[in-house]
Amino acid sequence: MKKLLSLILVLLLALGALGGLAIAEPAQDPDAEIVLAGYRNLAPGEKDGYYCSKILYVWEPLITQDDTAAPIPCLAENWEMSEDGTQWTFNLRQGVKFHDGEDFNADAVIANFDRMMLGVKSSSFYPLDITAHYPNLASYEKVDEYTIRLTFSQPAPTQLYNMVNFGSAIYSPKCFDEEGNFNGICAGTGPFRIVENVLDEYVLLERFDDYYGEPAKAKRIRVKVIPDADTRFSALKAGEILGVIDLSAIPASLAVELEGDENFAITTTKSTMIRFLTLNGTKFPFDDVRMRQAVSLCLQRSVITDDLYYGFGTPTTNILNYSTPFYKEFPVEEDLEKAKALAAEVLGDERVRVTYLVNGSDASLKVEAELISTWLAEIGIDCDIQPMEYSAMKELMKAGDYGIARMQQGLSNSEPATIFRRFMLTSGDHNQNYSLGYQSDEVDRLMDEAAAALDMEVRTANYDRIQEISTEEFPVIPLFNDMTLMAYSTRLTGYDAKLYGIELPLVAWAE
Amino acid sequence: MRRYLIQKVLSLLPVLLGISLIAFVLGVISPGNPAELALSRGGYEPTPEQIEAMERQMGLDAPYPVQYLRWVGRALTGDLGTSYASKLPVGAELARRLPVTLKLALCSILLALVLGFSMGCIAAAFHERWPDRVIRSAINIQLSFPAFWLALLLILLFAENLRWLPTSGNGGLKYMILPSLVLSSASAATTARLIRSALLAEFGKQYCTAATARGISRKRLVLQNALPNAAVSAVALMGNSLGGMLGGSVIIESIFALPGIGSYALDAITNRDYPALQGYVLLAGCIYVAVALLVDVVSMLLNPKLRLGGKRI
Repeated sequence: MKKLLSLILVLLLALGALGGLAIAEPAQDPDAEIVLAGYRNLAPGEKDGYYCSKILYVWEPLITQDDTAAPIPCLAENWEMSEDGTQWTFNLRQGVKFHDGEDFNADAVIANFDRMMLGVKSSSFYPLDITAHYPNLASYEKVDEYTIRLTFSQPAPTQLYNMVNFGSAIYSPKCFDEEGNFNGICAGTGPFRIVENVLDEYVLLERFDDYYGEPAKAKRIRVKVIPDADTRFSALKAGEILGVIDLSAIPASLAVELEGDENFAITTTKSTMIRFLTLNGTKFPFDDVRMRQAVSLCLQRSVITDDLYYGFGTPTTNILNYSTPFYKEFPVEEDLEKAKALAAEVLGDERVRVTYLVNGSDASLKVEAELISTWLAEIGIDCDIQPMEYSAMKELMKAGDYGIARMQQGLSNSEPATIFRRFMLTSGDHNQNYSLGYQSDEVDRLMDEAAAALDMEVRTANYDRIQEISTEEFPVIPLFNDMTLMAYSTRLTGYDAKLYGIELPLVAWAE
Repeated sequence: MRRYLIQKVLSLLPVLLGISLIAFVLGVISPGNPAELALSRGGYEPTPEQIEAMERQMGLDAPYPVQYLRWVGRALTGDLGTSYASKLPVGAELARRLPVTLKLALCSILLALVLGFSMGCIAAAFHERWPDRVIRSAINIQLSFPAFWLALLLILLFAENLRWLPTSGNGGLKYMILPSLVLSSASAATTARLIRSALLAEFGKQYCTAATARGISRKRLVLQNALPNAAVSAVALMGNSLGGMLGGSVIIESIFALPGIGSYALDAITNRDYPALQGYVLLAGCIYVAVALLVDVVSMLLNPKLRLGGKRI
């Protein structure tokens, strides 16, 4: 027996020694590697349209955005729109080099447009689709060594918003193969370059010493892939990683556990994601606008955000996400009695039973659905909640074989026309694929007018009115705007959440 | 022996054919148009014309039997298609990830064998005494713990609190300890229970009684006399356990951030990446069949009394 106990003790000691060797405390050398983690590959590699996410600061766009999502210069120093709005001339930044040593100039930009013309490239982030980022583009040309011109077949006064970040990513022309895919690690102009990319394990970034602007503070940053949120949290607590980044970096339920712990901090900002309910507007009872209004009025959105999502969300009735400068604030009205009266006008004395679909992979959505269904029951709607595989759920929605579904939508750029078009135009893909059954001649007219308007005030006024209509007629029932939520060790500084990720070049050791 | 092996391999061919059929049908009956899925990554909404062109390009306009034969034909040459999600060849991706899963499975099997045999031997040697009772309780706990929960508990204890082991990742042996412990837990418990029962049965046989009467020590009786006879059934059990481990690795690899074929399958399910999922099913099925064959051969070698059709091998 004594021998057995001794053996166990020796094993435990060996395990301890092994562990001690494995996880040494990182030195406080300012050039020591900083390890972060996200849930997915932030550099999916050669077959991805962008190779890596913008948040790695490897590639840069012509136009980026400020904290209010307004377009600001990046690789394009300044620009000019022709009077008729059909031509945009961009003056490019000089003295910029790609990571492979190539010069950034008009030829490089034209090569990137040539690449986009080869066809849509799929991506884990946003599709690289020239028709989406440059609608009605008729031609592109080099004017001189550092100037390019885009010509559109129709006025494009909000083109800058389409080009923000993923809309105008620029890479060294030597990166591309004949099909427009990357032929190795991509070479951008950003403050970090990729030195190693092991899919599903990590991507290793190193400061690009020839960067034209303020150099990155950290010498090396390793971004690991840890898919499981609980494991990511444990890795952060154990000191294996110093921060979590990207979407879904840390669930709100885990983030609140870090509050009050001086070793960790939470950083939040507006997210481009909006959460909403879709109602099957092609069938009774949601084909009646009064019923959709009743659903919106009976919801206690602040209870959802505060109690289910720990306050990390902002209630809204606006279809447009709050991260775009075109967003207009509307009061969120809750009135159960009014909701009951409206529902009674549609249902009479009857009750109606509907199918409520949720994505089965997210357990919190079922809890949310149960809460919402109790409010809906008060206005005569009884729900059969069905967690489903997401694509199967979308198939049912497309076939119009559902009542209510819980969905979400990201905003790919600050130009809201895409969202309005997809949800509110009769021909909109989401309007059709989600069986929203929404039709408004006024929205159709306002969108046409906005598309033709050169005056930004006219366009903004039209967008304001469309948002107002969305809060009156409810093509979908918005619930809340998301918040980007990230956590990090206080051994780091400069870890501030931005609209899209964090400003990685500012991240450094605290001492 | 050779004849036995040939017969065994031939008898496995219909099984392999069945696996390939199941893998193919999986893609066919799954909801959604594969051409549309292949095009609509990252929120892109393809036009009907683009979908039609992609259907032709993917050969989806051909009848199902033709599609199946083409798929099997390509699979035999190692071409399992291209992942919808990553756009990378499925065969190459599985080949890149297989060593991680095999390393995990091997560590888990070894751990299950060591733990299972040790616990079984100790429990049998100390029958109805306190070590036996402790081990039986441990077996029940091990069998009733869900793997994902055990994984989280072990991470919490050994990585987050004690900081002895890494929470996750792919690397040396230390990265395999926690995932192997989790993955082998149930198998170790089953093996221990089996070994204990088998040893107790052996102890009741005449040769054990005679050996005890001759004054052979308990330790020698267990290790040299009874255990070789009891081990045969455990070897067969280990073969079956491998199937469970391959299935279990789908969740375990994801929790421990191990880039093996299990996490690949989970990603494929999440992304509705049917070529990847088909490739996984085919590969996992083939591995299982190969292990079953290996177990048969090892069992036969361990137990010379085994005969094929009543004849000598």
